[in-house]
Amino acid sequence: MATDSLTLPKPATGVIRIGTDGRASIEGFRCRDCGGVFAEQTMSCRRCASRNAPEAFRAAESGKLYSWSVVHRSYPGIAVPFVSAIVDLDDGLTLKGTLRGVDAAAVRQGMPVSLVFDDAGGARDKEGAPYVGFHFTPKGDA
Amino acid sequence: MSDVYIVGADMIAFGRYPDRTYYQLGAEASLKALDDSGLSIKDIGAVYASSCFNAQSMLGQKVLKEIGQTGVPCINVSNACASGATAVREAFIGIKSGIYDAVLVVGSEKNPRGMLGGAPHDGPPPEGLFGSESMPAVFAEAGMVHTAAYGTTIEQFAQVAVKNHHHATMNPKAAYRKETPLDEVLASEMIAWPLTKLMCSANVDGAAALVLVSEKKARELGMSRAVRIRASMLTSDPYEPRNPVMFDCNSVTRLAAAKAYEMAGLGPKDLDIVELHDCFATAEILHYENLGLCGEGEAGRLIDSGDTALGGRIPVNVSGGLLSKGHPIGATGVANMVEIVEHLRGEAGARQVTGARIGLSHVLGFGAAAGVHILEKA
Ligand SMILES: [Zn+2]
Repeated sequence: MATDSLTLPKPATGVIRIGTDGRASIEGFRCRDCGGVFAEQTMSCRRCASRNAPEAFRAAESGKLYSWSVVHRSYPGIAVPFVSAIVDLDDGLTLKGTLRGVDAAAVRQGMPVSLVFDDAGGARDKEGAPYVGFHFTPKGDA
Repeated sequence: MSDVYIVGADMIAFGRYPDRTYYQLGAEASLKALDDSGLSIKDIGAVYASSCFNAQSMLGQKVLKEIGQTGVPCINVSNACASGATAVREAFIGIKSGIYDAVLVVGSEKNPRGMLGGAPHDGPPPEGLFGSESMPAVFAEAGMVHTAAYGTTIEQFAQVAVKNHHHATMNPKAAYRKETPLDEVLASEMIAWPLTKLMCSANVDGAAALVLVSEKKARELGMSRAVRIRASMLTSDPYEPRNPVMFDCNSVTRLAAAKAYEMAGLGPKDLDIVELHDCFATAEILHYENLGLCGEGEAGRLIDSGDTALGGRIPVNVSGGLLSKGHPIGATGVANMVEIVEHLRGEAGARQVTGARIGLSHVLGFGAAAGVHILEKA
């Protein structure tokens, strides 16, 4: 029952990295010249156009809510309602995620939230490998 | 360089056309605009055709197969919801450069049914797992930033829908022509807080067309119904720190507006009428400030004041807007300009903005692109 590399956990979205120890983190990229922060690797800096490729960093796992919507109707087959959230992490990276464990009426801009890694809703790829996802919870409730 | 004039402008009634193709709709709008101009397709030096979902299918050539294959260049453009404005700008450049004396711009679309959007992806579907990619959620989130900063209320957002639906009752070409009072807007199905169904644009089919000519040609045709293009501007989204995680509908519009005002030598206070991209009710509130119609944080009070309703200081979306006239993506930018032209000619019927001389049209494409045109009665 040696673990097949095909069945190792996989990132459910592009910003997640899974270390050799199996632990998940969020990877951001920071421009070496202007300090601009991005959620994906680009050839040059989006902000200052520097040809120095932005360098990867491990992102903070707490932040503040910047904006949100309570989604009541979505694409077919998607469970609703849920809170779609835009979160500014403490080191300047912005992520979109689902905010869970909160009364929708109590959601406010600036509320502190924690990033929590999860099983991406239990999804599996065709080889049976699990996915690693993330969501947000109000800080202190994690 | 020659000034550029609009001498023909028309559109088909927006709605659903299950038994007709997108190029038949485009051909009908083209013939109507040509008839309005007094020109024939044989007078036209180039065709600029706009569609979001069908530009790659040679829309311009398909339109010509319906109305006359004269062998002229066809330029097919796709730029999301800014496709129509992009086609007009390219046509403007074609006349401005002196290459053409008369060109046809046609925007046509049969929108897919259901909620638009949803990018291809690897792994589990991101929708619901990593927030929402749906357009209502994206524009709800943009609106909630305004709420957090300035206290804008759901009633203020909803009043945009009340106003635009009221305007549509006076527009025979609007898809939905029914009064929708505030309680009805608020009570309709919640799609993505704070946006209810009646605060989301109407997903319909449609086509619109314009004939653009040089000053020399306009003088030949007679200037009495001509409209001058004072500014034609297109932008892509400049760097914003949260973009693309958070779609930025503001900076791309502000950049286009600033450059258009500079090109026209005019400011927001000179405008008599505005057609702006009310894809969702929140967007209209944001664009009041993006286009300089009021100061920062004042958009909620602007809708409350009635100044943007017909009869007010600066009427906005008198056509009914995307919310009730409808939003056939690739036709929208052209249709916005058809509306402005009708008002500047004094031919807008029951919804005429009295004495309108200068109007602005704006569209916003997801991804992002913004088009701003400023038109003036010649
Ligand atoms: Zn940089």
